[in-house]
Amino acid sequence: MTLEEQLARRDFLKQLGAASAAALACGGTSAWANTEAIIQPKATADSCILIWLAGGMASPDTFDPKAYLPFEKGLEVKKILSTFPAIDTSVDNIKITQGMENIAKVMDRGTLIRSAQQPDLGHILHSRHQYHWHTGYVPPLTVAAPHIGAWMSRVLGPKNPVMPAFINIGQRLEGVGEKEELKAFTTAGFFGSEFGPMNLPYPEHAVQSVQPPKGMQPGRFSNRYKAYKELIDQNPNRELMSDFQQASMIRAMDNAYRLLSAEEKKAFDLTLEPKESYDKYNTGRFGQGCLLARRLVEEGARFIEVTTEYIPFKHWDTHENGHTTVKRLKEEVDRPIAQLILDLEEKGLLDRTLVIVASEFSRDMMIEGVPGSKAKDQSRAKTEKLGEMKHYGLHRHFTGGTSVAMFGGGVKKGYLYGKTADERPLLAVENPVSVEDLHATIFTAMGISPKTAYDVEKRPFFATKDGTGKPVLDIFA
Amino acid sequence: MFMHPKLSAFLTATLLSTVISLPSLAIDFVHEVAPILKAHCSKCHTGEKKKGGLAMNTRAELLKGGENGKAVIPGNSAKSLMIELITSKDDEEWMPSKGDRVPAAEIAILKKWIDSGMQWEPGFSFGETSWEPPLKPRTVSLPPAKKNRNHPIDRLLDANLKTIPARTSDAMFLRRETLDITGLLPTPNALSTFLKDSKPNKRKQVIASLLKDDIAYADHWLTMWNDLLRNDYTGTGFITGGRKKITPWLYKSLRENKPYDQLARELLAPTKESAGFIDGIKWRGTVNASQSKDIQFAQNISQVFLGINMKCASCHDSFIDRWTLEEAYNLAAVYSDTPLELTRCDKPIGKMATAKWLFPELGDIDAAAPKAERLKQLAGLMTHPDNGRFTRTIANRLWHRLMGRGIVHPVDAMHTRPWNEELLDYLATRFAKDNYDIKTFIAFIMASEAYQSQTVVLKEDPGSDYAYAGPVAKRMTAEQFLDTVWQITKSNPTSMTAKIDRSEEKAPPPKAMKAPSQTPTPISAKWIWPAGPTANKASFKKLLTLSSLPPTALTKITCDNAFTMTVNGKTVASSKEWNKPVSCDIAAQLKTGINTIEIEGEMFGGSAGLICQIEFIDGKKKRVVITDKTWLARKPDENWQAAAELHSHGAGPWGAILSSATAAPSKPKQGPQRPIRAALVKNDFLMRSLGRPHRDQVVTTRPAELTTLQAIDLSNGSILADTITRGAKHLAATGKTNTELIRWLYQYALSREPTANEAAILVGIAGTEQTALVIEDVLWPIFMLPEFQIIR
Repeated sequence: MTLEEQLARRDFLKQLGAASAAALACGGTSAWANTEAIIQPKATADSCILIWLAGGMASPDTFDPKAYLPFEKGLEVKKILSTFPAIDTSVDNIKITQGMENIAKVMDRGTLIRSAQQPDLGHILHSRHQYHWHTGYVPPLTVAAPHIGAWMSRVLGPKNPVMPAFINIGQRLEGVGEKEELKAFTTAGFFGSEFGPMNLPYPEHAVQSVQPPKGMQPGRFSNRYKAYKELIDQNPNRELMSDFQQASMIRAMDNAYRLLSAEEKKAFDLTLEPKESYDKYNTGRFGQGCLLARRLVEEGARFIEVTTEYIPFKHWDTHENGHTTVKRLKEEVDRPIAQLILDLEEKGLLDRTLVIVASEFSRDMMIEGVPGSKAKDQSRAKTEKLGEMKHYGLHRHFTGGTSVAMFGGGVKKGYLYGKTADERPLLAVENPVSVEDLHATIFTAMGISPKTAYDVEKRPFFATKDGTGKPVLDIFA
Repeated sequence: MFMHPKLSAFLTATLLSTVISLPSLAIDFVHEVAPILKAHCSKCHTGEKKKGGLAMNTRAELLKGGENGKAVIPGNSAKSLMIELITSKDDEEWMPSKGDRVPAAEIAILKKWIDSGMQWEPGFSFGETSWEPPLKPRTVSLPPAKKNRNHPIDRLLDANLKTIPARTSDAMFLRRETLDITGLLPTPNALSTFLKDSKPNKRKQVIASLLKDDIAYADHWLTMWNDLLRNDYTGTGFITGGRKKITPWLYKSLRENKPYDQLARELLAPTKESAGFIDGIKWRGTVNASQSKDIQFAQNISQVFLGINMKCASCHDSFIDRWTLEEAYNLAAVYSDTPLELTRCDKPIGKMATAKWLFPELGDIDAAAPKAERLKQLAGLMTHPDNGRFTRTIANRLWHRLMGRGIVHPVDAMHTRPWNEELLDYLATRFAKDNYDIKTFIAFIMASEAYQSQTVVLKEDPGSDYAYAGPVAKRMTAEQFLDTVWQITKSNPTSMTAKIDRSEEKAPPPKAMKAPSQTPTPISAKWIWPAGPTANKASFKKLLTLSSLPPTALTKITCDNAFTMTVNGKTVASSKEWNKPVSCDIAAQLKTGINTIEIEGEMFGGSAGLICQIEFIDGKKKRVVITDKTWLARKPDENWQAAAELHSHGAGPWGAILSSATAAPSKPKQGPQRPIRAALVKNDFLMRSLGRPHRDQVVTTRPAELTTLQAIDLSNGSILADTITRGAKHLAATGKTNTELIRWLYQYALSREPTANEAAILVGIAGTEQTALVIEDVLWPIFMLPEFQIIR
């Protein structure tokens, strides 16, 4: 062999050999080294707002009206499909339900999916389905799965470097039922807390999270920080300045200070919103949350979740008295959601902001889970005929057909996707969309391939289960 | 590019049954064979991957074969399993199991290659040769000492060390070692005493004396064991009783320094107190097969005790090491109450598991024996003296805690090669020889010059190319951070969540020492509650007939979680903190004749129990009234019944609670209770933010770096701000001038004096005012210093 041949041979062997193994080294989270390179799709959105109607929003009483029967004593409950009449929307072939007149007007800005479905997990538990919806994985798991917001934070990073990439508005994690179960998915999981949520349970108090501690004057706060910086500069152990742990600590403190003293922190302060606009949103904590989300997106937030808050048996978790509760909830959500869409549009942000309205599953008057499921009936108003108002409502958890509305961020305008049956069981009968496919769709809009994977314990952990989520490409404009 | 001439003339060679020396150009391994193996086989069988036990980084590995036997027989492709599988038509067995089939032309080349003797490029390897950890322990002979560094650890390390790291200063040593043993800082007094001490063996002495403090040791190490054993006060699963705590057992075991083999046996073949670990978490609803309690058992015990990742294998044969689905299920079957069917990726495969241990070389388990017996056999095999993987795993974990990085790292990847095999084997063998004594082992590591060296300055988190050059600095855990902040500012929480015995009392003094007048009556009261399923609320009643009025009637009482006690309708005591028993004198409410004692009890969750003892003189006789089954008890809206006796005093989850805290009011207190530590209270926002895990899964390392969100919580979070405010108030009351205070804080927090510049900066913000507000502004920057938060 000539020298040239030998050299060529050596290079060739190198390519085949151990060189690539170094990239697989464990520790921290590194991207999974696939043999085939992942091609990230071209993003159609830069920011994402997930509006979470926690507790199981009944599609037939919201986005997917079926035959309506008003309350009437003695009415057989099995005849009831919807407890609200249908109303027209700005899109010819889409009707939604009474009480959502504002959202009806903006339906022409988005796509309505009516065929989302959830798996049968046996006895129905909100916490497990919420975990599934938020992480794409059914718990329990051998590793802590990252929240969808943590994925965006990990893969895309912050849009504006001083803004936390993942902000979670409206959900308390202490002092509410099933708080441990909520904490289990409100996390960056194995990605580590760098990618975890900034939790803002009370929108009105959000600004406190980016301000000096209560009662501390800004001047005092910056003096304190200045002293800290000077102490570091004057530290006698100069050789430690290059230590990675020390450097990361100082960097993190600097980043925190930058946010706490940046102009952008004003976005967290709802008192700075003009009164007229504030009033449009202010239907309570949820409405304020939508306003906060809008303000944060304006300043470059990446992913925001706004929830009506999950509390067992409260809000959308209607085990009894469903109709009356949903009527109240619509008053709470209809105006702020519509206003959010309109404001984003007016500010020229809607095209690059994907707004998703979703819930962990739907509800039905009769069926718990899906037909044939062994799930236990959890209605608290069991009756065959309506006796009083509390019997009137969709009190069972239904996983066979759920609506998801999406606005902006590159999805088609005024588009309807999927269909549920018109008679019970109200199963998705056209284009069913699994949680994995829904995630794949959202990730694709954000420019993240559903096959994106990170290394955990030397195994790949994919953005969608086993990398199998298929985006619903049909809904993209 | 260059081409190799191809010879077709050797087709005849395939007909030869004996391999003869063939011309080297017959098949070009490099250009023809290697690319095929790389494309179709390497993903699962090279580098550290060895699916089905088969690795093919090198010719030797490929020849060795895998779990299904030989993969290739050189010279005989027709009998080579590899060819059989890549040409198979059976979905279940064809190879590669993922990706495209091997094209016929390439199969022909592989056949040719095998038939022609399976030549390999000398020295070529597809990846870092996979390494199978040995099972048996190994006795290592020590290399000669260099520079009089005689400690076995130093002899082993120095052999490969280019530059010997400098010895750390006495002050840094004391800070590191106090934080490592107790999770606390050395006090300024302890520091100055140590610095003044001129005895040559003072380091050894201080190690021994710190390890003797069993409470401080347990308070700190509980964190590591809780992470490892996935034990916590709150978390998923508790909501429906699908999970049990082992805190009282674990804390007691740490205080006693229970030998590790015994600890493991008690976890694997548990009593009620320690069963929470192997019982895992029972989730509500239908759970996928790889997270059933049986499979959790297999995963958790493999990871915790052996550093084996059984998570892959509990769904399908592992890609990363040799473990198979069947082995995972067979291990799970040791625990399972019912026959267990193998399930691959959530689909049953029609094959039943048989209870089996992972290393038959050490013995096996009688699959027909009842569960308790199977677990006992498993515990015996796990802690078998020949199970070197058991001792190596714990030795590595403890080394990681003390030296900042595992000898195998990550510490759960025990199938990967240690950076110093001799050292790990030596430590493991030594640990077993020292009766699995964890404290002795810690003292042994701490006595080495290696531990007592300066930490290395690392420019980045080292990867697989790590080379030992000295100890690695450790970031304080969330618990250490809070414990030390609380320690300096005396702002510890006032009550703890843990139901543990933290009493300082040693064994009772010998009888001769008892002075009759001072002898407290032993507590004979029982823990009681209404019989049947545990009720949240309970009422208790006892009638007491007195012939005369006693001058005193000393009462000791507590209830998990809360109670109100009335005597003849008057409230005499109430409390909402079970771990702070109430002592009171109820004589004023008593009357001659019949007295009614009533207690309303309430349980907030977890265990429930009431215990009460009343002593008084009736006439001339001393009488003791105790809670027992003679008391009446009832649940809300039910009838009175005899109370159920749950435990004697001292047993159950509560410990000897009445003896510790309840001297009669007139007597002096038995000494201050120790401050409550972070590991003894529930997780909160700040701790969670700083990395205390949710503990749904086993956790063996915490993140080394501070993140921006954590920094925000440290900068403006209310928990730390409130702590500093409380602490500053306390420090303002000590009467120190600001200059004195700053010096004292540096000594305490950083174990050194401030430089003139540093003191000037802090005096600059403090001025001469000694208000709490000013002190807050001095405390915060110090607590934020990396020098404070990093253990060097």
